Amino acid sequence: MDKTMKFIKDKAIICVLVLFIIVLAILRPSFVSATNIKNVLIDTSIYGVAAIAMTIAIITGAFDLSLSANFAWGQIFFCYLLNAWGASAGGILLAIVCTLLSCMAFGAVNGIVVVKSGIPAWIATMGMNYMIKGWCLVFTGSDMISTTNAAVAAFGKGTFLGLSYLTYIFIFVAIVAYIVMRYTQYGRNLYAIGGNRISAELAGINTGLYRFSTFVILGLSAGIAGCMYVCQIRAGSVLYGTDLALTCVAATVVGGTPLSGGKGGVHRTVVGILLLYVMYKGLGFLGLAGYVNSMVKGIVLLTVVSFDAFMTQSGTKK
Amino acid sequence: MGKFKTDKIESSVNWKSMFREWGMIFVILLIVVVATIRRPAFLSVSNLINILRSYSTIGIAALGMAYVIIGGGMDLSISSTVSLSAVVTMLVINGTVIEGVSPAHATFLALAAGIIIGALVGCIGGGIMAAVNGQMGESFIITYALQIIIAAVANGVVGGKFQAAGYKSGLFKQIGMGLNPVIIFLVMAVILQIILVKTIFGRNLYFLGANMKAAKMAGIKTRQVRFLSHVICGICAGIAGVVVVSRVNSASISQGLNYEMDAMACVAIGGTSLDGGSGSITKTVLGVVMLGVLLNALNLLGVQANEQLIVRGAVVVIAVVLDTLNKKAKLKEVAK
Repeated sequence: MDKTMKFIKDKAIICVLVLFIIVLAILRPSFVSATNIKNVLIDTSIYGVAAIAMTIAIITGAFDLSLSANFAWGQIFFCYLLNAWGASAGGILLAIVCTLLSCMAFGAVNGIVVVKSGIPAWIATMGMNYMIKGWCLVFTGSDMISTTNAAVAAFGKGTFLGLSYLTYIFIFVAIVAYIVMRYTQYGRNLYAIGGNRISAELAGINTGLYRFSTFVILGLSAGIAGCMYVCQIRAGSVLYGTDLALTCVAATVVGGTPLSGGKGGVHRTVVGILLLYVMYKGLGFLGLAGYVNSMVKGIVLLTVVSFDAFMTQSGTKK
Repeated sequence: MGKFKTDKIESSVNWKSMFREWGMIFVILLIVVVATIRRPAFLSVSNLINILRSYSTIGIAALGMAYVIIGGGMDLSISSTVSLSAVVTMLVINGTVIEGVSPAHATFLALAAGIIIGALVGCIGGGIMAAVNGQMGESFIITYALQIIIAAVANGVVGGKFQAAGYKSGLFKQIGMGLNPVIIFLVMAVILQIILVKTIFGRNLYFLGANMKAAKMAGIKTRQVRFLSHVICGICAGIAGVVVVSRVNSASISQGLNYEMDAMACVAIGGTSLDGGSGSITKTVLGVVMLGVLLNALNLLGVQANEQLIVRGAVVVIAVVLDTLNKKAKLKEVAK
């Protein structure tokens, strides 16, 4: 009996996901059409890449609110480079590499500020969010930037076995992150740091370097997500993806990784982000006004984080 | 007497710690000097009054924010609270104009509407925070989520439409005229400072911010104190919304945009630690003046709004970094 209870508790989130899909399929049969599944998965994939990095950071006991602005910078810089070098395949590759490096550089700045000065990650990254946003606006002259690159557009539209290429990138990233977090020393050390930083330090882990690395990973994920987004919509702007950071936090917590760190896993976040997107898109299908949609997003985040905090609190009481 | 003297000498010699303590003010003074040299008009009385006038609404919101931060929390929902309060106030005042209610009653109703809206949002945020007894990180995300929800509510109330004032003159307009916003700001600051320093609630708030567990063990009703601090913050944001409507004679759902950031910047620049447990309203007032002076100087120097966003972000980070370094150095001194 205990075992079944534990199983249900552990897999509750998957049950909820399946239930959601069934209800939506009954209410709006077109929700489970091949095209719609593909489209929902594309959106899930773009945010999912960032959510996986956010999960790694949360497991380590930090989070990054500058992810939204960094994501916007990824789009803008990628578009800009594509317009400059996008004629040849080598140029596109170089543009991707440069975009990722620049996003990682922003992540590295976050990491240095947080690790060296010891200020809370959320204050540092919130300040950084405004700085990157300001920089993006200065870079584009408060405008959006678009690209007409045919190769990138073709990649964004391309499908394999009915799923977009972008979804395969997400699956690849998720598998790599899962293996790294589960089976390598690096991943286990991150869990140790999130569980108890002082004892990890005493056990001989260079916690500063590890924490720094998570911020670089976050930057990298923002860059990848930014490039994927450009493939999809062929434009970049600070207005795209302002909710990225908080959606990623929500996906992580919904999936079952607590904010207190040291627990959870990347695979849970894959389910979490799927659930969020099925819900958001489902609401869109039900034809509700835009503000109702964003209200539901807020309520979900509020409920999930409050519940998580409440559980942590009652957990420590015992 | 002798001991007092040596203390003084030590503190005057230690330049390093002095820079850590007052670094932010040095930087701002430097910008002021540069601005004054480039534009002598910067230091005129009329410009300074102008700065106070335009930053008093942010200041009013920052006062409430200071309460929450001293208590070891964070409230990001105030930007939406300001918007919602502004929108609802405008609906009320326009409605009463149509109904032909006397100006005094209309103003009272509008003010009450703003305050009640603020208090309600504060109750929701404070209630949740009290229930989960959350740490900083959680209060951050929870109030951020609340910000999204309240913004959506404000959007829903007016359908996203910009609202122009339906009145030409009247008592309500007086709230935002001339030096009145500054007076409201300063009166509120005095009242809140007295509550903070002279009442049991105020002292409990410091205790809560410094060490929640110890405060709980000492028998303080931590949940109650946390709840009240959020309600006060919400009321301040509500009043800020009313004042801003009266000053600009219009209301939109983006009225409070970036308020949470600016309020936090004011609190941090003033020298209130974002870890909680220290700081004061007086320091926050100083922070409001400094942020106002800084942004005004940047305006005069021809720095565009987008670049100013970078400066605002940097100012908060630098202020917090300096505060943390300061604390570390103090801990070392104690250890010696």
